[in-house]
Amino acid sequence: MINLKNIHKQYSRDSFGLKDINLQIKAGEFVSLVGQSGTGKTTLVKLIIAEERPDNGKIEIGGWDITNISNKEIPFLRRQIGVIFQDFKLLAKKTVEENISFALEVAGDNRKRIEKVVPRVMDIVGLSHKKFSYPHELSGGEQQRVAIARSLVHAPKILVADEPTGNLDTINTEEIIEILKKINDFGTTVLLVTHNRDIVNRLKKRVITIHDGKIISDEESGKYRL
Amino acid sequence: MGFIRILKFAFQDIFRNFSLSFMTVLILILMLLSINTLIVVRIITQKSIDTVKDQIDVSVYFNAKAVEEEISEIRSYISSFPEVTSETFLTKEQVLENFKKLYADNEEIMLSLTELGENPLGPTLIVKTRDPRDYKKIISALDVPEYRGIIEAKTFDDTEIAIEKITNVTNQLEKFTYFLTALFAIISFVIIFNTIRVAIYTQRIEIGIKKLVGATNWYVKGPYIIEALVFSMLSIVLSFLIILFAVSFLDNYLNVIFSAQDLLTKYYYSNIMELVSFQFLVVFLLTALSSSFAMSKYLRK
Repeated sequence: MINLKNIHKQYSRDSFGLKDINLQIKAGEFVSLVGQSGTGKTTLVKLIIAEERPDNGKIEIGGWDITNISNKEIPFLRRQIGVIFQDFKLLAKKTVEENISFALEVAGDNRKRIEKVVPRVMDIVGLSHKKFSYPHELSGGEQQRVAIARSLVHAPKILVADEPTGNLDTINTEEIIEILKKINDFGTTVLLVTHNRDIVNRLKKRVITIHDGKIISDEESGKYRL
Repeated sequence: MGFIRILKFAFQDIFRNFSLSFMTVLILILMLLSINTLIVVRIITQKSIDTVKDQIDVSVYFNAKAVEEEISEIRSYISSFPEVTSETFLTKEQVLENFKKLYADNEEIMLSLTELGENPLGPTLIVKTRDPRDYKKIISALDVPEYRGIIEAKTFDDTEIAIEKITNVTNQLEKFTYFLTALFAIISFVIIFNTIRVAIYTQRIEIGIKKLVGATNWYVKGPYIIEALVFSMLSIVLSFLIILFAVSFLDNYLNVIFSAQDLLTKYYYSNIMELVSFQFLVVFLLTALSSSFAMSKYLRK
């Protein structure tokens, strides 16, 4: 599903993002990507969603070589990958329902489909009763659930979660991880970027550890080792 | 369907970012008012210059003994110059009558006139040209040996310096208004560009989010172009309402100064289509292009 071969990314002469990354994630896997701040985790996410281009190497998503993806193709890639972030990235002037339907509207989906899909994803994340609320009227956990709902509208094969619990308390963190596990149970490949030791240890799923831009361990049922 | 959604996003943005929309329209209105103030200043300056120029004329005094054929020849010669806008001929009798009116209170002059017994004054031709600079050409054309016996005097010699001074002043004024226009145009461009740039800068995170969820550049840019269109239309309508009210108010004062009635109102009403469409086009293009330019770096990611 996600295939990275000999990936190099350097930002400046002294600042390496990633060094010789080789990584294969199969369809339906739940993978935790761990590492300290500034080790290259977010760079990896940016490469997968084509926000950055590698200096060397090859990236394939679902068999699609996106190494040199054109600017015109990027929106189509992003409609196939659900992404959630630590800071939620919700449109502040749109309601919960509008934030979610926006992802479908820009993809050109018709009203009938939007009216069918949006209530369903809001139901999955348990936010049907807040559809007219604006992001600032929601708690952090609720905002992240909106972001998850939005990422699910295209029924993506891959969900990338970049520090999704970084701004949340323990209860909300648990809720978000449970939702991610549920999504993974439906068959979606989940790549969870985190430095939350407890989450990683309790998940008992594959753990890839990055340090200084390199993969230093890759364990099938691993633990947080840093 | 895409266009309707873009329209919907645009109007949502306008109303939900009301303070930003309000400030943008306000800046555009202020710029349009500044530009139109300059147009008004130019009209008034031009009218003042025309009025001053209109006060200048050259009188050609014919010899009292000049015969009609010779005078007619000179009149038709002067009329043949394209620079001449009007020529008024005063007969000997008219000149005498004007003279008497002018010196009615001066007993000595009136007494001398009676003693003479005959009209000592010759006919006069009052010539007006398009520009004061043209008088010299007309006068030089008349300053030939065959006309010396027919033409007794010309007033130009006395007024040449005054005409030159007026010409200089009016030329400088015209240049100054052109300079002001250019300066205002540059200032307007910079202010509009920066207003839009700041507006887009405040929306950079939103632009990034839209791109992240798979919006194409057209879906991100489209609403801003529509907003630019709406802001331009709104600012044009509101500023022209203010301008038309202001010029009708100003005309009350200008009517007293100039003989022309409703100078500014007439100008604005007779050129309204050109003024509105040109200013709308400039404002819309400026706002739309500034938006596109300011957005380009946020659209690359």
